[in-house]
Amino acid sequence: MVRFEDVVLRYGQGPEILKHVSLQFDPGSYHFLVGASGAGKSSLLRMMYLAQHPTAGRVALFGRNVAGLTRQETAVLRRRIGVVFQDFRLLEHLTARENVALPLQISGEAGARSDKDVEELLTWVGLADHMDALPPTLSGGQQQRVAIARAVIGRPSLLLADEPTGNLDDRMAVRLLYLFEELNKIGTTVVIATHNESLVQRFRHPITRLSGGEIAAPGGSAAAEAPA
Amino acid sequence: MSRRRKRQAVPLDRDASGRYLPLLVAIMVYLAALALAGAMAANKLAARWDSGLAGSLTVQLPAAPPGAEAEGAAQQDPALQAVVDLLEQTPGVVTTEVLQSGEISALLEPWLGEALLIDDLPLPRLIAVTINPDQPPDLTVLRRAVLAAAPGSIVDDHQRWLAHLLDLAWAVEIMAIVVVAMVLSAAAIMVAFVTRMGLAAHDQAIELLHLIGAQDSYVAKQFQSHALSLGLRGGLIGLACALPTLYLGRSLLERIESGLLPELALRPHEWSLLILLPVASALVTMFTARVTVLRTLARMP
Repeated sequence: MVRFEDVVLRYGQGPEILKHVSLQFDPGSYHFLVGASGAGKSSLLRMMYLAQHPTAGRVALFGRNVAGLTRQETAVLRRRIGVVFQDFRLLEHLTARENVALPLQISGEAGARSDKDVEELLTWVGLADHMDALPPTLSGGQQQRVAIARAVIGRPSLLLADEPTGNLDDRMAVRLLYLFEELNKIGTTVVIATHNESLVQRFRHPITRLSGGEIAAPGGSAAAEAPA
Repeated sequence: MSRRRKRQAVPLDRDASGRYLPLLVAIMVYLAALALAGAMAANKLAARWDSGLAGSLTVQLPAAPPGAEAEGAAQQDPALQAVVDLLEQTPGVVTTEVLQSGEISALLEPWLGEALLIDDLPLPRLIAVTINPDQPPDLTVLRRAVLAAAPGSIVDDHQRWLAHLLDLAWAVEIMAIVVVAMVLSAAAIMVAFVTRMGLAAHDQAIELLHLIGAQDSYVAKQFQSHALSLGLRGGLIGLACALPTLYLGRSLLERIESGLLPELALRPHEWSLLILLPVASALVTMFTARVTVLRTLARMP
């Protein structure tokens, strides 16, 4: 599903953000990417959702080397990836409902049925009363839930989340991680970047630990690290 | 949700640059409408001159000897009578009409005024001749025969000055078409500029759309529908302003009552051309916006 081979990333002439990273996430797996701020988690995710090309090395998604993709192929591949951005990236002039429906509209699946799916999903994330609210009128946590709903509405094959629980209380954070588990059970590969170690310890999924742009603990099991 | 109007993912309707676009398109369409009407008027004028003078000749005899200019001149002027007889016998000549001194005075009146003293001026004698355009007489032979019958006569088929007038009308027509083309090009450049500004202003929204799987054509569609709407609105405003101007121009020309000036009464197909201008402006703006977006995005990594 996701394969990095000796990947190096550097922005311009700056220092190496990622240093010879090699990893592999199999289809249907659920991974946590942990590490302190600046460890390179977001940069790693950016390459996974095709916003960034590696300076060196090879990145393959869904069995395809991303270096040779055309713009059209990149767009088609991105439709199979759901992303929860750290800064949410909601379109402020669109309502919560319209933001969530956007991936369906782009892939041409918008319609009465998808409207119902959007409403159900927003209700599930606790925003039934805010469907027609514009993002600037929502709290940080509410915006984050809209962003999460937008990432999962298209039932992606690969779900990438960058600090998806950063603005949520513990109860809602756990609830959303269980939503990701439900998606994982139906075949979605989930990769969650977070610095919330205590939250990660509640789940029995592999952890990839990043430190200073390098993989410190590749694919380690959370269960092995978690207290009994 | 489906009951409400769907908002575009890129909020172009909030852009200040887009707000002025209809106004600029309106000015362009206004100028294009006037230029197009000018081209059509020039075309009509050329056609009128061409058809009005084709199939006619004017024979001009030198001024009559004293005492022969009175009414019924042909009977009293042997040279005039000889030319009339010659013309009537010439194959290809349909009718001949000797212009009376009153008619000649009327022709000169716009230049010399009403105080023309016909007896004081040596006026040439004129014969208006209608010929069969399909089987016209041999002009060289006719000229020679007329000259023999009345020395100093001129047979004028109007071709020399008609050719100059037709050239002028043609030039006016071409210039008007060039003006329309330039106006449309200026509109396209302006739309490309506004579209680039829009792309820069909404780069984050566009990046997001790409990240969630939008093709370049999806983004282009947002811009082109917006441009189509603005172009059509501007085009209709421009046409609405041009129509009173054309009406005013027509009224002024009618007041002059000169056969030389063009007629501005438009025929149905000419109206269709003018009405198509807002549609053309809308299509130009839409097409330009689409091409600009696709080209700009294709250059992005």
